[in-house]
Amino acid sequence: MKYMILTYASQQDYDGMAGKETGKPAWTGEDFAAMGAFMEKFNADLAESGELVETRALAAPVLTRRLGSKDGASVVTDGPYAETQEVLAGYWIVECDSFDRATELAARLADTPAPEFVRATAYADVRPIVEGSGDLLD
Amino acid sequence: MGAGDLEDVLRQLAPQVLGALVRRYGHFDTAEDAVQEALLAAARQWPDEGWPDNPRGWLITVASRRLTDLLRGEQARQRREDQVAGWRTVPPEPVTDSDDTLILLFLCCHPSLSPASQIALTLRAVGGLSTLEIARAFLVPEATMTRRITRAKQSVRDSGARFSLPPDHADRLDAVLKVVYLIFTEGYTSTAGPRLHRVELSAEAIRLARMIRTLLPDDPEVAGLLALMLLTDARRPARAGPGGELVPMDEQDRSRWIRPLIDEGIALITETLPRGPVGPYQLQAAIAAVHDEAASAGETDWPQIVALYGVLLQFSDNPMVELNHAVAVAMARGPAAGLELVGRLEAGGRLADDHRLYAVRAHLLERSGDHAGARTAYERAATLTTSLPQQRYLNTKAAAMG
Repeated sequence: MKYMILTYASQQDYDGMAGKETGKPAWTGEDFAAMGAFMEKFNADLAESGELVETRALAAPVLTRRLGSKDGASVVTDGPYAETQEVLAGYWIVECDSFDRATELAARLADTPAPEFVRATAYADVRPIVEGSGDLLD
Repeated sequence: MGAGDLEDVLRQLAPQVLGALVRRYGHFDTAEDAVQEALLAAARQWPDEGWPDNPRGWLITVASRRLTDLLRGEQARQRREDQVAGWRTVPPEPVTDSDDTLILLFLCCHPSLSPASQIALTLRAVGGLSTLEIARAFLVPEATMTRRITRAKQSVRDSGARFSLPPDHADRLDAVLKVVYLIFTEGYTSTAGPRLHRVELSAEAIRLARMIRTLLPDDPEVAGLLALMLLTDARRPARAGPGGELVPMDEQDRSRWIRPLIDEGIALITETLPRGPVGPYQLQAAIAAVHDEAASAGETDWPQIVALYGVLLQFSDNPMVELNHAVAVAMARGPAAGLELVGRLEAGGRLADDHRLYAVRAHLLERSGDHAGARTAYERAATLTTSLPQQRYLNTKAAAMG
């Protein structure tokens, strides 16, 4: 069974990681390097155990383009998110034996090194993936 | 011989064996399966039973036998006796010394394939990387890469490509070199994913270029590409700081550059350039050589680099080359001259959303003492790049402008 692990961040979080003061302290070079090393190891472990299907990080929310329509014409909006709104920041797709195992994997993310104020509110979601329309109808 | 030797030898021979099989029998995809099985058999038998006198011949014979079996099975299923008769008439030709790797490369870089497929197929058939390894290096699921490679093989087959040096092989060589260079840059930029796999891609590209050079020792652009990659790869240890951030060349610790690679690259390009005709890879290698030869950033021979970019610009209409030219001009003649070129490039619009243009402008404004302008440009560059390490670098520079 496949599961998606999702993590979230705001534009403010991205700015902090990019070394900007945001009302909260910016990440130091050491903070950022420690997180990078942790993620690299986390991904390598998942690849090693054969449970990693795919993982991606998303670029900062400010680079988002949203497509909608207005009066019948399609409209593209730049960076529609507020500074502090938390949006999807990255995901892993893992293939493993059970929901509990996927949860166990996601729980390791709690050890991600980061400044204390970031760790205090960080969270991740785990969601089962629907493989085909059959899964929804059963 | 140790296990490592065996692996090296098999990897070296795999494309030659596959090439020989495809040349004789066609059936690219089935031939590949047959070669894989022959390689497996060799890995099992040779360590115990001793190495054959002619390892390449052994592999070709075993793989041919296996291919015949596979085709027989396939074609019995399809009840196509007429075709069976067709392949049966291929005489059991003795194993020759000809190396078919180059033809295999041309086949993988078939013009009907997208660059992504050309890369995947080349890494698979010539590089001998497993589908899983290629998938990991490009951060796509294995199933996706399997589909991509299967489709690529199918396109090659459907195109009716004959297994011989194509008549347009000069054009094809361009495609082959481009694919090898793309594999290299994929490994060198290392923007995502487990670092290790990416480094292996650069090493693989260099290995492929060496292989092509053995096959075409007189081609100056083949030598140029190899020299370019050696001279670029030599700087790898100094390119990133502890946080993974890119360290610009003028701030790199040059004692960490890999000397033997630099020496080899310089010798190669020095020997190649006078032979001509000159091409873009040789010019880029020559530029890299000028950088690598300088004991410090300050001692770089910028006028020579400007001259080389001047020639390179005649070969391509590439805005990144123009941007690099602007940097070189600024180093040789001062920031104002560079800023003028950057301004023209921006007006042209092709790099208007590219962080590199604003990063260069910021550096040049900083050097000319316009700190407020530099700050704005650094900030603009930071918002345009998606890479967090680069954003960190650019934001730090912006903050330092006060």
